Amino acid sequence: VELIPVNAAIVIQQAINGVVLGSLYVLVALGLTLIYGVLVQINFAHADFVTIGAFAAYFFMHLAGGSYLAGIAVALVAGGMLGWLINLSIFAPLRRMGGELPPLIATIGVSVMLQNAMLAWFGPVPYAFETPYSQQVFRIAGIFITMQSILIIAVSATTIALLYVFMKFTFLGKALRAVSQDYETAGLMGINPNHLILLTFVLASALAGMGGAMLAPVLVLTPFAGASVIVKAFAIVIIGGFGNVEGTILAGLLVGLIESYTTQFLAPGLIDIVVFGLLLLMLAFRPTGLISERREENV
Amino acid sequence: MGNPVLLTPIERLAHSLLRFGTLKTSGGAMRKSSGLLFALGISIGLMATAPTGLAQDKTIKIGGLLPISGPGAYFGAQDKQGVELALEELNKTGVNGYKFAIQYEDSACGPLPATQAARRLIDQYKPDVIIGEECSDATLAIMPTIAQAKIPLINAGSSAIKITEPGNPWTFRIMPNEVMQGVDIATHAYNDLNARSAVLLYENTNAGIGNAKVFNETFTKLGGKIVAEIGFGREVNDFTAIATRIAGLGSVDVIPTYTLEGQGLKITQALAQAGVVKGGDGPAIQLGTIWLPFGFEQKAGKSSTGYIRIVQFDPTDERDIVRNFVGNFKARFNSDPTHLNAHAYDQIMLIADVVKRGATDAQSIRDALAATKDFVGVTGSVEFDETHQNIRKDTMHYMETRLDLSWNALKWN
Repeated sequence: VELIPVNAAIVIQQAINGVVLGSLYVLVALGLTLIYGVLVQINFAHADFVTIGAFAAYFFMHLAGGSYLAGIAVALVAGGMLGWLINLSIFAPLRRMGGELPPLIATIGVSVMLQNAMLAWFGPVPYAFETPYSQQVFRIAGIFITMQSILIIAVSATTIALLYVFMKFTFLGKALRAVSQDYETAGLMGINPNHLILLTFVLASALAGMGGAMLAPVLVLTPFAGASVIVKAFAIVIIGGFGNVEGTILAGLLVGLIESYTTQFLAPGLIDIVVFGLLLLMLAFRPTGLISERREENV
Repeated sequence: MGNPVLLTPIERLAHSLLRFGTLKTSGGAMRKSSGLLFALGISIGLMATAPTGLAQDKTIKIGGLLPISGPGAYFGAQDKQGVELALEELNKTGVNGYKFAIQYEDSACGPLPATQAARRLIDQYKPDVIIGEECSDATLAIMPTIAQAKIPLINAGSSAIKITEPGNPWTFRIMPNEVMQGVDIATHAYNDLNARSAVLLYENTNAGIGNAKVFNETFTKLGGKIVAEIGFGREVNDFTAIATRIAGLGSVDVIPTYTLEGQGLKITQALAQAGVVKGGDGPAIQLGTIWLPFGFEQKAGKSSTGYIRIVQFDPTDERDIVRNFVGNFKARFNSDPTHLNAHAYDQIMLIADVVKRGATDAQSIRDALAATKDFVGVTGSVEFDETHQNIRKDTMHYMETRLDLSWNALKWN
């Protein structure tokens, strides 16, 4: 592998690219880590909530003539509503039946069902998701950034801040953390775990939907769009520490930067080798993730 | 998956009667036997009174191995439209007493699903001829299975040279292969665009690597310089980092790009945002081959200004055959046909052409295909060489994207 000589502007540019990409990963991975934190369950359908959010924003803009910013809000609501509906109709009844495996398998079933429903409704041809902000490019001293990238960073940072405030300072946030730490004891303290599980699902799905709207201008928008980022999101959640929000944020940004610099200094074809190599190293030497919330190992 | 085998009216009636005969009823075995006898009697009676023109009920069975799911699913969706139109036109009258039926299987643009789909198609449908796949890796994977079954395969979408080199008795390709396209576009880039430096962008697949290699060899032989070769996986979404790397290489004349539509859109937009290509007021011209469908420019927007690419179908072509196709397609699907629609249409029309020349089964279809010298389709003409590669260059049309996103035909061939 040949190293490519670069100047400082390129190094800074790739740092910006990495932070933008990492911010998108964080938006997707946060929902995964929230669900795992509370339910100790992996949601394989999360990718499809991302895709549905992207399509919700797309059709809101193209059919209803709405703005992109309003489209992000629509995607957030669409994701949350879908999460509420699917949890109520599929996951909650399965959880009541007991056992960890049925809800896990059900997430795979829901994923396949949603993908094929979208394929039937929206077709397989890639959609071009353009926002007015993608074409607004700011160039300073050999460095460029689009308005869309600024928006991605701003929305991600705001979301992270709001989530932090919600989790740390509100009653519901504290209750969520209590359920996450000890499901049964939280129930004995007067907290209804089922309501909080529903809240977690809605919150995670809404985040996925919004992540879809933010990712859509970057993604190749097809019914399978979310699947292309979800594997990376899983890797981020494991690297960050399953169920740990701070760790997920750190790992998301780290993976974004690794991807950018691997593209610059090595080759884009090596991105997955580097990212998943890091994942294996984490599993081998620090299985609790970058920031460990639980004392037991993640796998 | 796929449509049921085309049955004659008599066969359909007999089938339904036989199903009736096997229903579980309170009458038990006696009732079942009566049903069977009744069905047989009716069938024999109908056959005896059937008109003598049974030749019209003879069917050429076509297998369609198309990507219907996954990132290449847009290929399958558009191919099916072209196939449907051709079949509707042909089955109005039939050809030499034959009608045409197709059964699709989802080959998903990948070697493993394509091989499984080919096996299902051959075992269950037993086609006389197969069309597909679109992606080179998938086509290469299905070729041995189809050749072993001694069924001719007509390919219109895969450019990898290995598909027809060193020759396969059962595989025919009507589109220009990667060498024909690569040599042609590299030569035009050097001679007509005065390009002297290039960055190669390609997906890490047989076709992507193969296309890039041919461009590299031809361009450097002519005196050009390849500044960088950048391969990437199909899972890459964000191309900003790649565009940044290219921007850091300094001024580049041309950027030949080999990827599917979705990633192609993102690459073009990222290169424009980084100020590398003409669409972003940069100096480089992006070059492409037949990978991108009609309508790419409208999706990519201003970023695609100045993009030059080979298209295999020119909807502005004034030939009658093309005008009729465009008119009928618009009437049927309410949209302009893409090169994928046109390719699929030509594949079916080529099968009709060999049936018209007397072919009736897999072996005779293969022989007639091999002897094809002057088939005229909507994408161009077809003449197969000894490797079963179409050698006609009129299938390569060069188009440059104007500022208003319309096409400027360069008339290089």
